[in-house]
Amino acid sequence: MTAALSRSEAEDFLYLEAALLDEGDWDAWLALYTEDAIFRMPAWRDEETLCSDPDTELSLIHYDGRGGLEDRVFRARSGQSVASHPRPRCVHVIGNVRLIDGADGIAEVASTFTVFLHDMRADRTHHFFGRYRHMLRHEAGTWRIARKHIVLLNDTIPTVVDFYSI
Amino acid sequence: MTIDPAGLIDDRPDEGIFRVDRAIFSDPGIFDLEMRHIFEGGWVFLGLASQARAPHDFFTTQAGRVPILIMRDGEGQLGAFVNSCPHKGAQVAQTRAGNARIHVCPYHSWSFDSAGRNRGIKWQRAGCYAAAFEQSDHGLARLPHFGEYRGFLFGSLAADVPTLAAHLGGAARFLDFVVGQPPAGVELVPGAVTFTYDANWKLQLENCSDAYHFTSAHPSYIQIMERRQKGDSAAAVRSIWDQSQAWSEDAEGVQGGSYSFEHGHVLNWGRIGLTGSHPLFESAGDIAARHGAAGRDWIFNMRNLTIFPNLQIAENASSQLRMIQPIAPGRTLMRTWCIAPSGESGAARRQRIRQYEDFFNPSGMATPDDTVAYESCQRGHAGRVDPWLQGYARGMTAGRAGGNRLSDAIGASPRRSVLADSQLCDETLYHNYYREWARRMAAGVGAERA
Repeated sequence: MTAALSRSEAEDFLYLEAALLDEGDWDAWLALYTEDAIFRMPAWRDEETLCSDPDTELSLIHYDGRGGLEDRVFRARSGQSVASHPRPRCVHVIGNVRLIDGADGIAEVASTFTVFLHDMRADRTHHFFGRYRHMLRHEAGTWRIARKHIVLLNDTIPTVVDFYSI
Repeated sequence: MTIDPAGLIDDRPDEGIFRVDRAIFSDPGIFDLEMRHIFEGGWVFLGLASQARAPHDFFTTQAGRVPILIMRDGEGQLGAFVNSCPHKGAQVAQTRAGNARIHVCPYHSWSFDSAGRNRGIKWQRAGCYAAAFEQSDHGLARLPHFGEYRGFLFGSLAADVPTLAAHLGGAARFLDFVVGQPPAGVELVPGAVTFTYDANWKLQLENCSDAYHFTSAHPSYIQIMERRQKGDSAAAVRSIWDQSQAWSEDAEGVQGGSYSFEHGHVLNWGRIGLTGSHPLFESAGDIAARHGAAGRDWIFNMRNLTIFPNLQIAENASSQLRMIQPIAPGRTLMRTWCIAPSGESGAARRQRIRQYEDFFNPSGMATPDDTVAYESCQRGHAGRVDPWLQGYARGMTAGRAGGNRLSDAIGASPRRSVLADSQLCDETLYHNYYREWARRMAAGVGAERA
């Protein structure tokens, strides 16, 4: 009997990830990822075309393995990054969740996101929006993220974008 | 009433004093003068020749507040034009790049070829135009000056400027070294990254040349490099920073320095040496053959080059090209790319891209710590109890006129040079920015009064 994922389970999973990011529970967030997880937010090749090949085109963020995300969490907590402290207040709103595939221990979930941020230091509120594509893998009795692909649609970055704000 | 820019730079070399008034970063009148007399009044960087390789390729860019269209015509000649229809002013090219023999204005369908000539005025014969109109030129306005050096394109909206060669002066020697300048030239890796920050453009100008901030603003990045070196982190992304002593506070001897050139251009550099994780390592032999051993050693050093006022090329673990685009006194747009040698191997390109993303991107682990600091400065500049900033004093007694043995080795001729240990962190190279700034502003204000 192999694991299957329903749409409502997929939604719960994405909402949990969003809540862990928003609430700063980043160890639990990292634990959602497999050891070999690929985390990628490509840059745009032009107005309408996203970069597709991470080895020949630029990404805003590209990690091949969870270690890259662990580094990001380490930096954000280090107290040695002026950009990371005080942490902006963020809320992720996830929508339009579609289960593309959810059988045999592998699931693919498409969704949209909006992240609202308030940077207290600059008294400035802005938002990021775009699309997620999660590839989930069932391992050790639970679903984990094996791949997360983020399409950032408003990619003129206002000063900072970090793992917790996308 | 506009502040007189001449009073905002306190430059008294004989007394060992150089100070900058905080108003240069926030005064709207100063900003307006900068746009007219620096960004729209002289040479600015516009892009790379490789952004329009084939006949009829084009790309759009900016000179100050002015939209610019660069096109390669049917004969292969590059031209630079104001991207604005002479009829009503609409932008004739709408996209960042493309290929078009004819650009048709979207508003009233006047059309232009890739050499900027007018090729059609809709219903011209029925238009009952006067003879004066029929006899005048209806092409796109060509920039008075446009030129290329080593694949870098520069233009000037003002007619009364020195030649491009004179403008670049001795700094051109360091454009010869960008990413090793292979025979195939230099190119931008697909994927432009654009970001804004709410602070003045000159904070970016200075930061690129600022060795003093590195261990203060980027300790989290340095710690991550240490984690990766020790294997605490599983990340595959490594960096030549691992192997560099340039930022180590206890490194001994000359670890870097700075050069100042005519017209405000500067270079600051740090010693790195040939390391296997440098994306050019595979080409070290070819580079030595083309540039000599001294040129090769320079190419493997960390180098931050600023061609005043809007081009910065930072080369270290990877290589970034930045265009500074001021929007308002307290707001700046940065257009950034990974610049790379055309024809490098897939493995080297991958290494270059991976090392780029973590360090240079606004979504990475170093640049945000700079831009957030700029915004902090901008807010702090409101404090005018003492308007004079003290950040231009390090290295005051370390500099010398002309070059040194390291610039002599590559035939470079800076006007001023500093050799530095790891802690000197010269700030006198900013003087070069502000002397050129003051010269251009004074000339502009003088011309307006005349």
